[in-house]
Amino acid sequence: MLTALSALALLFLLGPILLVVAIAFSSGDTVEFPPPGLSGKWFTKALAHQPFQDALITSALVAAGATALALLVGVPAALAIQRRRFRGRRAIEALFLSPAIVPELVLGFALFQQLMVTLRITALGALLIGHTVLLLPYAVRVTGASLAMADPALEEAGRGLGAGPLRTFLHITLPVMTPGIVSAAVLSFLTSFNNVPLSLLLNGPGVSTLPVEMLHYVEFSFDPVVAAVSTLLLVATVLVALVTERLVGFNKVFSK
Amino acid sequence: MTTPVVQLRAITREFSGSVAVDAIDLTVERGQFTALLGPSGCGKTTTLRMIAGFLPPSSGTILLDGEEATRLPPERRNIGMVFQSYALFPHLTVEKNVAFGLRMRGVPAAEIRTRVGEVLELVGLAHLARRKPKELSGGQQQRVALARAVAIRPSVLLLDEPLSNLDARLRVQMRQELLRVQRETGLTAILVTHDQEEALELADSMVILDRGRIVQQGPPREVFRAPATRFVAEFLGYENFLDLPGRGPITIRPEHVGVLAPGQKPPPGGEVVEGTVAAVRFRGTDVAVTATVGDRVLHAISTDDTLRAGEPVRLHLPLARAVPLAGDDGDARPATSKQQECPA
Ligand SMILES: Nc1ncnc2c1ncn2[C@@H]1O[C@H](COP(=O)(O)OP(=O)(O)OP(=O)(O)O)[C@@H](O)[C@H]1O
Ligand SMILES: [Mg+2]
Repeated sequence: MLTALSALALLFLLGPILLVVAIAFSSGDTVEFPPPGLSGKWFTKALAHQPFQDALITSALVAAGATALALLVGVPAALAIQRRRFRGRRAIEALFLSPAIVPELVLGFALFQQLMVTLRITALGALLIGHTVLLLPYAVRVTGASLAMADPALEEAGRGLGAGPLRTFLHITLPVMTPGIVSAAVLSFLTSFNNVPLSLLLNGPGVSTLPVEMLHYVEFSFDPVVAAVSTLLLVATVLVALVTERLVGFNKVFSK
Repeated sequence: MTTPVVQLRAITREFSGSVAVDAIDLTVERGQFTALLGPSGCGKTTTLRMIAGFLPPSSGTILLDGEEATRLPPERRNIGMVFQSYALFPHLTVEKNVAFGLRMRGVPAAEIRTRVGEVLELVGLAHLARRKPKELSGGQQQRVALARAVAIRPSVLLLDEPLSNLDARLRVQMRQELLRVQRETGLTAILVTHDQEEALELADSMVILDRGRIVQQGPPREVFRAPATRFVAEFLGYENFLDLPGRGPITIRPEHVGVLAPGQKPPPGGEVVEGTVAAVRFRGTDVAVTATVGDRVLHAISTDDTLRAGEPVRLHLPLARAVPLAGDDGDARPATSKQQECPA
């Protein structure tokens, strides 16, 4: 009974994905299932599609940049929140986590107003800032969790054994945090890369992210190109997940 | 006499207005095993952390090896600390954990290898050198923590309830282990504990703290046989507190109070009182008897398992074993509470 249920659940989860993959390899000219025959032509077409190429670069730039920025701000913030006792610590923590509660469209609209309309920042800049804000809660949460799980006496042990504050940070705090930082980086990168609501609002002439470009594409065409792009993204995501698994372990990434 | 390893002079620590450690004076001689003993919240950990340099004192002076060290950062104090949680570095193997302090001191690699080997041998863990801490049992982790602290040949070894995370049997076993390591290395040690047995068994000198103050110190036998105040007596398991006319306040251990069988002639000396059994607690080899005598409550240990609550009983108090008390503190404390939380 349970096996049957989990098989059903698996079918619901994997079914649509398998469908998309099957359609990507179709030789037909429209999205149809089962595909009339097999071919790789939609992959060729997808890879050659200029807007997708541009959007992929934008997406990768934004995801990498925003991830780096979010970690640059988030890791020290997590350190301060977890390791220091100061007035307003809770408030600071809440502030860093707040973007996770605000609906993304609201956040996107607010940022659009501020960054692009008022401050006249370019679309790429706005995307970078917007995504950084979006990713901050992940960076603070995931790295914070890895610190919270670690014994606060570790740093004292390091000091007691003769390491000054800097060496204690380098030899103890940082290695203890590393799995958390890697997890946060992967999660942040994927979150940014897959984001639609924010990217939808923060784009400009010739600058949009891959998911947004895919969305535009299906508005006008009904061929399997988007299925091919989706399949490529799927493969890339699985690869990233596997590598991360090897590096730090899956459960650490997804059980924040 | 050589300079004492640790000297605390009027060390005080306040936390937002409340005093956790109150003008403590303490001297620890070289090679000595000192135990800081006291109920929860009485400033034991705070004292130890100030000696280690993790916490600055609000006032007072700390001398280490005779030199002023009050403001010295921990990394410059040459102190070996064993934490209650062990605080082993999770990303390093056992041998790297033990080597850490030596690496930070710039000891040459070859010498590090020998010394780590020796110390692991000392705690019987040489075969687990390549394991990570999480692959060890609690007792093994405890030994690694000890080895890591000992490896740097510290001036003083600080132990904050090092055995409290072990189960009862292992705890007793590790006490001897700890003592052996301390004797073999000749290290000076300060142990924090709220387990009187641990302190009695390990320490050369026992320091009893109450609400941030030292209330009594001395060799365990002396302190145990002659607690100065009611607080110390209660903490060490004295349960009967009497105010005898002409003798002042005295205390007597329940083990020394005799439960007389019906018709039994009391041993010479002391007093016989009659009362009623209020409660009997079975403890295996014997029973703990609580009896009411007039408006007083007395405690005795007996091997007579036929005693039942509500029955009349005769108790023999051997006054030769009674300990006179200073009676300056604790009169407000209820006689039944052995381990009270200190008021914050
Ligand atoms: N960082 C701190 N901030 C505020 N108060 C503290 C701090 N550390 C300790 N205290 C207070 O100081 C007092 C002494 O604490 P300490 O930890 O030294 O007790 P202890 O004797 O080690 O107790 P235990 O046996 O429970 O470990 C307590 O009342 C405690 O609440
Ligand atoms: Mg403590």
